[in-house]
Amino acid sequence: MSAAPSLKIDVAGLRLRNPFLAASGTCGYGVEIAGAVDLSTLGGIVTKGLYMSPRDGCEVPRIAETPSGLLNAIGLQGVGIRAFVEKVLPELRRHDTAVVVNVCGETVEEYAEVSKIASDAEGVHALEINISCPNVKTGGIAFGTDPVMTHDVVSAIRRVTKLPVIPKLSPNVTDITVFARACEDAGADAISCVNTFLGLAIDIESRKPKLAFGTGGLSGPAIRPIAVRMTWQAARAVKIPIIGIGGIACAADAIEFFIAGARAVQVGTMNFSRPNVYGEIESGVLDYMTRHGVSTVADLVGTLVYPR
Amino acid sequence: MNARVIPPMADRVCPLVERRPLGGAYALLTFEHPEAARAEAGQFAMIQPAHHADVTLRRPFSIMDTDPDRGRFSIFLKAIGTGSRSVFDLRIGETARVLGPLGHGFSDPAKGERVFLVGGGYGVAPFALFSHRLKTAAAKFHLFYGGRSASELPLIEELERRGIPLTLSTDDGTRGEPGRVTGPLLKALDGESGDARLYACGPEPMMHAVAKIAEERNVPCEVSLDPWMGCGLGTCLGCVVKIQEPDGSKPKNRPACTEGPVFDSRRVVWSHR
Repeated sequence: MSAAPSLKIDVAGLRLRNPFLAASGTCGYGVEIAGAVDLSTLGGIVTKGLYMSPRDGCEVPRIAETPSGLLNAIGLQGVGIRAFVEKVLPELRRHDTAVVVNVCGETVEEYAEVSKIASDAEGVHALEINISCPNVKTGGIAFGTDPVMTHDVVSAIRRVTKLPVIPKLSPNVTDITVFARACEDAGADAISCVNTFLGLAIDIESRKPKLAFGTGGLSGPAIRPIAVRMTWQAARAVKIPIIGIGGIACAADAIEFFIAGARAVQVGTMNFSRPNVYGEIESGVLDYMTRHGVSTVADLVGTLVYPR
Repeated sequence: MNARVIPPMADRVCPLVERRPLGGAYALLTFEHPEAARAEAGQFAMIQPAHHADVTLRRPFSIMDTDPDRGRFSIFLKAIGTGSRSVFDLRIGETARVLGPLGHGFSDPAKGERVFLVGGGYGVAPFALFSHRLKTAAAKFHLFYGGRSASELPLIEELERRGIPLTLSTDDGTRGEPGRVTGPLLKALDGESGDARLYACGPEPMMHAVAKIAEERNVPCEVSLDPWMGCGLGTCLGCVVKIQEPDGSKPKNRPACTEGPVFDSRRVVWSHR
């Protein structure tokens, strides 16, 4: 018999109690969900995207449910990095969980400035770089769909912080490995894979988009096989660790991402309907590890048996 | 207005213990949930069948009745789309994921104020719970219950049974006074000499019309907004409404789930088309 399995894992210097994080945009700044889920049962939380200034986001309707999924165009409504550091972070520090700040910008300079302020604050453990939001007119996905811009923004951030830098890739590209490599070359410590898929839902009566913004980002179980495929591709293209994201709703879903090559995962859309799903995922993964005689998550990572 | 203490919420898988069909797409459903059983009038719960793979998000439902002693609460439901239909189809003994109670409910009227409740369609639900509180406080109140036609007013008997003073209206004249619910409301306000207070819950154009009446007569008014809601926790930011800041600065997008759903009508920037 092997020793009891452990979920502790190190991802690019980020030491996590377990490999299950709450994805950006699905858990507010962490404090909002603290009444519904014990944050210390999570490996960490990734904040809603933060720019220098507060933002009011898109008009409503902002969300539309689709089969096994959710189409959204929120438009990165947020309080701004300074208000986050001054007003939210002190409360968040009282919870025992890793805090990853999701960094946004309209320019390379803004990304670097937000990163610097987040890095100087007490209680921020890593930076996730949002180069993939499909719901803003400037910045966001523009940086994540051009490998040169991806490289520029990641290297600019690399210069201003010692914290782990984790770009979040857009799936709205032909070859995700190009972007994974651009991040690695620019000094990224890990990669979050992936953000939402650009989608469009139409109200056939009015012949208008269901979302006020027009298009939106698709998330939820509907996108999972595509996200698993992209995680698998990215993991084989780079040496830095991958954090898998895309429609994870239960333990088996998380395990798929580990086998595909992710060293940790983020739960997104499921936080809206089942904010306390983490206990079930954790015990399910531990059961699986026991059943398969695996003692650490790292031993599962990238163990896909793929047909030749 | 007096701020009321918000009871703590809980996320539970809980059974449906009573189900009363009210004809057509309407039903009263009762769940066992000790926390939601302590809800304040105007609060809501996010509900989704525990075993239903086709619905991604929970749906918000106003809490219509509470029974704290037995740890139960009830909702009045109209099956409209996939989400509400999946809850409507629950059978007794089947379970649902219920998060609640959520949001800020109605505030208390000031002493001596005459209270006018305006419920449109299934928006009448929270006034059943509210009228219980108003009765306990010995407040003078009256409920205006309006809908498109008689078949859209399935709660009449239920509200009468509770002894709630009612005026009915239907757009097509099949029950009560013909026309919009604002017609009988205006008449009642005209006959009122003392201080009054309005509360409205229903379709947005109806609430906007009531808010305009309140503003013209300088009567305080609260409205319970019902935008598309994703989570109930203030994290998805799908349900934001434009709310005027007290300092007069540019209105901001505020999540209705955590900062509402009940708002002072003077602060609401109406967006319906």
